[in-house]
Amino acid sequence: MASARTLHVRCTTWEQVEVFHTRKLRRGKLLSMKVPFRCDPGAEVTLNLELPNQVVIVIAGVVQKSSSVEVDPTLAKPDAGKTWLEVELVGFTDDVVARIRKMAAGEVAPPAAEPPPMPAPASRPSRPSYPPGELRVASAVARAAEAQVDGLPDDERAVFQYLTAELRRLRTLAVHEVLDVPRDADTDAIRRGWMDLVRRHHPDLVARRNAPAITHLAEELTILANRAYDRLRVAMVAEGRATAVGPVLAPPPGWLVGFDDISSTGSIVRSKIAQTLQNGGNAPQVEAIAPQVTQIHGGEAFELRARAMLGDGDADNAQEVLAAALCVYPRSRPLRSLYYVASAISALSKGERMLATSQLETALAHHEQCTEAAAILELMRRTNVAVIADEMRRLFR
Amino acid sequence: MSRAVGIDLGTSNSVVAVIDKDGVPRILTTAEGGTTMPSLVWFSPDGPVVGELARAGLDYSPDLTIFGAKRLLGRRFDHPEIRRLARILPFELIEAPNGDTWISLSAGRSISPEEVCALILREIRRMAEAYFGEPVTRAVITIPAWYDAAQRQATKDAAQIAGLTVLRLLSEPTAASLGHGAHRGADRKYLVCDLGGGTFDVAAVDVEAGIFEVLATTGDAFLGGDDIDRIVVDNLVRDVRSGRGFDITNDTVAVERLRLAAQFTKHELSDVSVSKIYLPELVQLPSGRPLEYDKPLNRSELEQWADPLIRRIEAPIREALRRCGRKRGDIEEVLLVGGMTRMPAVQREIARVTGREPEVIPNPEEVVAVGAALEVARLEGTIEGVLLIDVAARGLAVSIGGDCEQVIAQSSVVPTREHRVFATRHDDQLRLEFDVWEGESPDPSQNRHLGRYAVLDLPPAAAGDVLVLVEMTIDTDGTVRFGASELVSGERLQLEQLFHAGLARTDVLRLQRQLEHAS
Repeated sequence: MASARTLHVRCTTWEQVEVFHTRKLRRGKLLSMKVPFRCDPGAEVTLNLELPNQVVIVIAGVVQKSSSVEVDPTLAKPDAGKTWLEVELVGFTDDVVARIRKMAAGEVAPPAAEPPPMPAPASRPSRPSYPPGELRVASAVARAAEAQVDGLPDDERAVFQYLTAELRRLRTLAVHEVLDVPRDADTDAIRRGWMDLVRRHHPDLVARRNAPAITHLAEELTILANRAYDRLRVAMVAEGRATAVGPVLAPPPGWLVGFDDISSTGSIVRSKIAQTLQNGGNAPQVEAIAPQVTQIHGGEAFELRARAMLGDGDADNAQEVLAAALCVYPRSRPLRSLYYVASAISALSKGERMLATSQLETALAHHEQCTEAAAILELMRRTNVAVIADEMRRLFR
Repeated sequence: MSRAVGIDLGTSNSVVAVIDKDGVPRILTTAEGGTTMPSLVWFSPDGPVVGELARAGLDYSPDLTIFGAKRLLGRRFDHPEIRRLARILPFELIEAPNGDTWISLSAGRSISPEEVCALILREIRRMAEAYFGEPVTRAVITIPAWYDAAQRQATKDAAQIAGLTVLRLLSEPTAASLGHGAHRGADRKYLVCDLGGGTFDVAAVDVEAGIFEVLATTGDAFLGGDDIDRIVVDNLVRDVRSGRGFDITNDTVAVERLRLAAQFTKHELSDVSVSKIYLPELVQLPSGRPLEYDKPLNRSELEQWADPLIRRIEAPIREALRRCGRKRGDIEEVLLVGGMTRMPAVQREIARVTGREPEVIPNPEEVVAVGAALEVARLEGTIEGVLLIDVAARGLAVSIGGDCEQVIAQSSVVPTREHRVFATRHDDQLRLEFDVWEGESPDPSQNRHLGRYAVLDLPPAAAGDVLVLVEMTIDTDGTVRFGASELVSGERLQLEQLFHAGLARTDVLRLQRQLEHAS
């Protein structure tokens, strides 16, 4: 390849910028887009991200996946969108995000002559480090990023912030992504991925700091890693790809609910939503409790509630219910897509058409079968906002 | 900061170790000069006596001299093994109001095993404070890997009563491999066999690049040196009856004397093949003359008597290998821990079952405490690059009146957390209750009841509208924590413990104050 291709993304509002790097990018680094040229995996590309204040940020990236899209000859522009690219924006570091946020906050940074300091390496030490993103027009104040090489910075606040960000990032990922392995990784890779995580985050490593908040975060991260590891090793055995990975574990029913990314094995047990419990137990020495609760499996109850709320036109509350549900079932695709739909409806009611469109597209990206998102997009194309509110409500009834 | 020590709280002997200023582990010695302290408490007329001095109590008042309290920690009174123990122990066991096992002392006084262990731990604390010359308030305490949550909590409570904060409950096999120096050596697949005074534990421990992973733990909670002593004593009592025409079965003092002599001879027979039991005064004859007892005993006879017990070694080892999906040939090193592994017959049996000549450690009694001291150093940051990974010994289940439903699977890597979501069933329901069990069976009677909890102050709403998220966390120590929140608002809800195994928080604090005043 003669020269690196350049992609352009233009954001006209700060909101779009925010949406771009929080929602559009997967795992904060992966950008999927259609481009009108062919590109091989491994090729380098640059992304010019144009911000609303006419600042262009140049971000280095490497093509991870590239697949050609079937061109429909009936389309008006047959040459638009030939290849579906997945680009890892290696130059899109936390440092860059911090600068963008700063600019968004209205702090106009003076242009710096020298390149910004080397930002923190990619979150895994095992990965090769890439050249950092550079800011061409306006580079932010050279506030040296905390050195996070192979460990945690000494400053407690920085550790806290780093661990919080890491926790937030990992929570949205599929189990194999948490361990940073491919879905079909072998036993050794899974163990290594898990050990890497545990070696970075185990609460014992921060015990000597005597800081409960940090120990708590470290424990949460370890819990996340352990849960991912447990699920993945069980999935491996269930899929017949290994006899035993670590101590043999018999998963209880309902264990994989919310873990849609590994439920393909068929081991998932989806119980009925309202599983009524039988009266009268036979607990020894303990008198039975009258049946006073219904146990919920999976996110269906939330989905039903949220749909009812959307049917009443109460998008804000629906969004809240779904956000709560996502804390429990962070990987449930239907819940996630519905969340974005609710967010889009609430944006529409405030007249923010652009945001609504991007939210609906995100919903579809998360869950292709989200018919509501497609329907609302279609409605938006045809009519104006005021008219469709009723129709949207009807969608959920 | 105050000092921390590593404690091996054993069934029959306890050991305490510290890391010296030069970074070398050191075993502290008792006032009598021993490296191990008998886990004995004699409730003498002048107050409790602990350790070597309490041996006098075995002679004087066996019913007030408590040994093996660790076996009773966190156990239900109706547990079959406790029923068996109750028949053979010289002191009396009673049932506490919550179903736990307590010990009855004279004059209607009863005492929990936690308090007995606290007295032992306080003695250990004194030893360490005498050595350092400054207060000791923190400790790493080792426990059998198969300890369930109730037993772990009971151990923590005992430490708290003794005024010690538990830095970590460390599983004995991990401690043993750490004490053996596995963190300094090459990556290995260990099988740790720990046959001590009261328990037999097997654990498969993998050491890989500084990470210690306990893959499977099994054991026999009621197999140990004490049981072999008891078999020997039974045989000797039978011998006295047939040889001297004297039945001493109900003479606790005489039986206790025989037990001590048998223990001594058992230790001797690990090194020599012929010894004898000699007691100048076993009992007083009706004529007032002492009955002299002199019986030669050789190793093969001892092994023959102990054979039924030694055969019980095999099953836990096989089970441990099965649980981690290993074959005999996968083991790279067999570690022998615990005083009983000095017995040649035990070593032979383990070699036969594992197909590998076991590693004989020069100090099998002390290696666990050394590991505990190293764990203190690790947590304080002196030893780097070592991580201990543990798995949940038992699964965790909840029930609401009906069958138990598994929430956390056995062998989940800890710390871990799972949750259940409950919806209310009545309009304006104010509280909801659930039971927590430890075990894998759907039948509650097969599981250990950990407690009943109530979520209080639910917001008033129509039936099914309030969703309660109950989270169960098993932490790095293997103890269980609960949390409840209202799902939609994310608000924390108050949890009340209606029934619980072990001591109540308030009791622990009260006992701690009592013990502080006493000393």
